[in-house]
Amino acid sequence: MSAIAGGLYAIWLREVKRAVRDRGQLIGGVVRPLLYVLIMGIGLNPYFRGEIYGEVRFVVPYTYVQFLFPAVIALNIMYTSVQSAVSVIWDREFGFLREVLVSPMPRTAILFGKILGGTTVALFHGALVLALARFADLPMTLADLALGLALMFLLAFALTSLGVVIANRIRSFEGFGVFSNVVILPLYFLSSSIFPLDPSLTSAQTRVIYPEWLVVLVELNPLTYAIDALRGAFIHFQQFDPRLGPLVLIVMSAVFFLTALLDFRRA
Amino acid sequence: MSVPPSAAVEIDHISKRYGRTVALDDVAFAVARGSVFALLGPNGAGKTTLLHILCTILKPDSGTARIGGIDVMQGPLKARSHLGVVFQEPSLDDRLTVVENLEFHGLVYGVPRTLRRQRIAEMLALVELETWRDTLVRALSSGMKRRLEIARALVHDSHILFLDEPTAGLDAQSRERMWQYLRDARGERDLTVIVTTHYIDEVENCDRVCIINNGRILANDTPAALKARHGYARLRVLPRDEATAAEFLATHADIATRQGEDIVLRSAGDAFTESFLARYGTRIRRLTVEEPSLESVFLSLTGHELRDQAAGARERTYAFGKRGGEHTR
Repeated sequence: MSAIAGGLYAIWLREVKRAVRDRGQLIGGVVRPLLYVLIMGIGLNPYFRGEIYGEVRFVVPYTYVQFLFPAVIALNIMYTSVQSAVSVIWDREFGFLREVLVSPMPRTAILFGKILGGTTVALFHGALVLALARFADLPMTLADLALGLALMFLLAFALTSLGVVIANRIRSFEGFGVFSNVVILPLYFLSSSIFPLDPSLTSAQTRVIYPEWLVVLVELNPLTYAIDALRGAFIHFQQFDPRLGPLVLIVMSAVFFLTALLDFRRA
Repeated sequence: MSVPPSAAVEIDHISKRYGRTVALDDVAFAVARGSVFALLGPNGAGKTTLLHILCTILKPDSGTARIGGIDVMQGPLKARSHLGVVFQEPSLDDRLTVVENLEFHGLVYGVPRTLRRQRIAEMLALVELETWRDTLVRALSSGMKRRLEIARALVHDSHILFLDEPTAGLDAQSRERMWQYLRDARGERDLTVIVTTHYIDEVENCDRVCIINNGRILANDTPAALKARHGYARLRVLPRDEATAAEFLATHADIATRQGEDIVLRSAGDAFTESFLARYGTRIRRLTVEEPSLESVFLSLTGHELRDQAAGARERTYAFGKRGGEHTR
């Protein structure tokens, strides 16, 4: 048992070390939140008021920066998780995978260590965004922070697993670049991340204001509920049932991890 | 350790096919504990497939393989703990340092900390990489990477070392050093070495040589016995003029081949040499008697030279490795 723990630690540590040495990734992790929170968030902040919705006089209980902030955390986690999936391809292409495949480590443990490593790095990048919390004026307590980090961990785990699932199905680095643009960005923009589906409206009313396809896509996107849960933790506001977010995150983590595991054991 | 005294590796009726291609056809052999066993054959002969089956990363279609008495299909994890493997393509993490790669290996194989530190120091000394401890692997030369991989395969309690073309792509000096390290390692612990190669000269010093071609074992014996049974001496003759050369080829059509300016004759022994000299002694410039070599053994068993294919095979192997190798597909 302790041998497996040691092996898990080794695989985890390797992921973390590689990430720390990868300057480009770190720079991306720092610059992205600066862009989104400081420039886009603060820039769009004045245009975002409850009063603009015609007859419906509803005072939105948050500013745009506040609204955007949890989504930027999710974005940073997303990019980093995808990056760690690239390392799956890397290991396969450059032979390192064999080193662990012939070791006495069970494959489940190998995969778990690998995903846990990617999760840690993604969580760290998500936490980098928190350094900008004061610019977004978040009403955050320590308990909020703990809950937020727990949700971020789940999100990072789910997305890293998803990344591995996709990396297993993609044969080249080039293919992965295409993937990240075709899958990641739509998934992100359709998650009620940078514009809200008006919380004061019913589902039917929302469909009047927005085109129906958009509403359906947003509601189908699991990331919507993950970001909603993060909003619950950081700005105490949620559009959906608060139980939905954690539930979706747990289901996502389980499904993606098990899929990755099945692929990995078959390979 | 629970390694039985007789055989370190036993293979019985192993077959493996990829689609229609038969990679291994009913292969069987045993490797005695503590010996150096060479698998010799051209690329595509099935050497790597066999090694991958033994490493438990590839399943055979039929047959059994045992490592230290453990069936690799039934107890793959346990079998692996006895193994040290050096693959054809480097499998180091080049963004980690030399010592970090070794640490990783030690942890994954569950080597306790004190022993791990001690072994890492010993193995770095063995392959003369102590001064490179904290260098990133990507800064090492390919020869150094190979040495590091051998050191790595010995960090845990490995009793059986698999080396898949360990000297491919290395210069002569590095190759010689690599074998020296292996000899040193065998002096320090109970170690069985199984090596695949297409360098015939390297095989001469092995305890047993198994010649494999098209997935079949053609011979499996000591180098001396192989040479005695399948080898033959050759006469290398440089004729004085072109007419003589043509005459040699015509009169000895079944045993003579042309290699550049030389005519190479398959010799039947000293008597043949003497009668040849008596007859043609005045018409040749030079005559060399080549003792039976493993080269000739290979030639007589397979009907073709190993070296001709080897050069191309190496390039193919590298391209193959770059694409990710076979079990990654």
